[in-house]
Amino acid sequence: MSTLAYTPFIDPIAAHEYWFALLIPLAFFIAVGYKAVRTVDMRTYWRQVLTFTIQIVGGIILLGIGAYVLIAFAIPSLAPMPGS
Amino acid sequence: MTTDRATLDIPAAVLALLFPGAGQMFRGNLYRGVMASMGVLGLFLGGLLIGGIDVVDSKEDRIWFYGEALVGPLAFGVDALHQNRFKAWAQVPAVTGRPGWDTRSGYPNETRTWNDERARYEWVAAANPAATDAPPNKKSIAKMNELGTLFATIAGMLNFIIILDALLPSKRGRDLTKDVSTTAGIAAATVAATAAAELSV
Repeated sequence: MSTLAYTPFIDPIAAHEYWFALLIPLAFFIAVGYKAVRTVDMRTYWRQVLTFTIQIVGGIILLGIGAYVLIAFAIPSLAPMPGS
Repeated sequence: MTTDRATLDIPAAVLALLFPGAGQMFRGNLYRGVMASMGVLGLFLGGLLIGGIDVVDSKEDRIWFYGEALVGPLAFGVDALHQNRFKAWAQVPAVTGRPGWDTRSGYPNETRTWNDERARYEWVAAANPAATDAPPNKKSIAKMNELGTLFATIAGMLNFIIILDALLPSKRGRDLTKDVSTTAGIAAATVAATAAAELSV
């Protein structure tokens, strides 16, 4: 059997360049499943799913910004590397 | 005064274990069950789509498989398929600390051959694997493997919450409303909840 052809669900996709975009479906499906058992009034279900998805994605973006500021600015200012 | 002790719904929990969302459907919450199922299966199948079948591997990624196993029989079925149809026996190098024979995925430059002595398939280097029995899948690596495994494992963890929801009757008044989407239904449920609250005083 040749491995040249791509088979969905068997072979990995080639999304190494935009892997971070996969965060959105990850957050969406978490919200769909979680809100299915946590929403009291199902009439507001999809609105809550959307809100929760945005909260997860936004939270991770903020964490990313925080980590970038810490590594790129805060730590170098506190402990500068020799010669920098 | 009313008691708030939850009674366990064992049949619903068993059904939830067998298939994501089935417990909620069994309890009459069809829409919730379908959406819960969509969430879990979306994550699990999304993981397979991203990282391939390699993301469900009870031997090479055992810790992650503990989380994935919470998806239920589907995860075990995918793992069994992976172990039996996509791997082959190969000698484990002594440097790993546990030399011997075990199954593993094949590298792109390998092929499966029949070893008469052990009556097992094994991977050996091949000049032209595409012409023979080359590995039936590409082993996922780096970000695709990490994200695919993360998707599938979170699916299991999410299903654990959904199983608990099926096992433990709700304290949120949710069961009063079931999947009622009409104003009349919500109003009736509100009246019932109010009456129950007054009785408890």
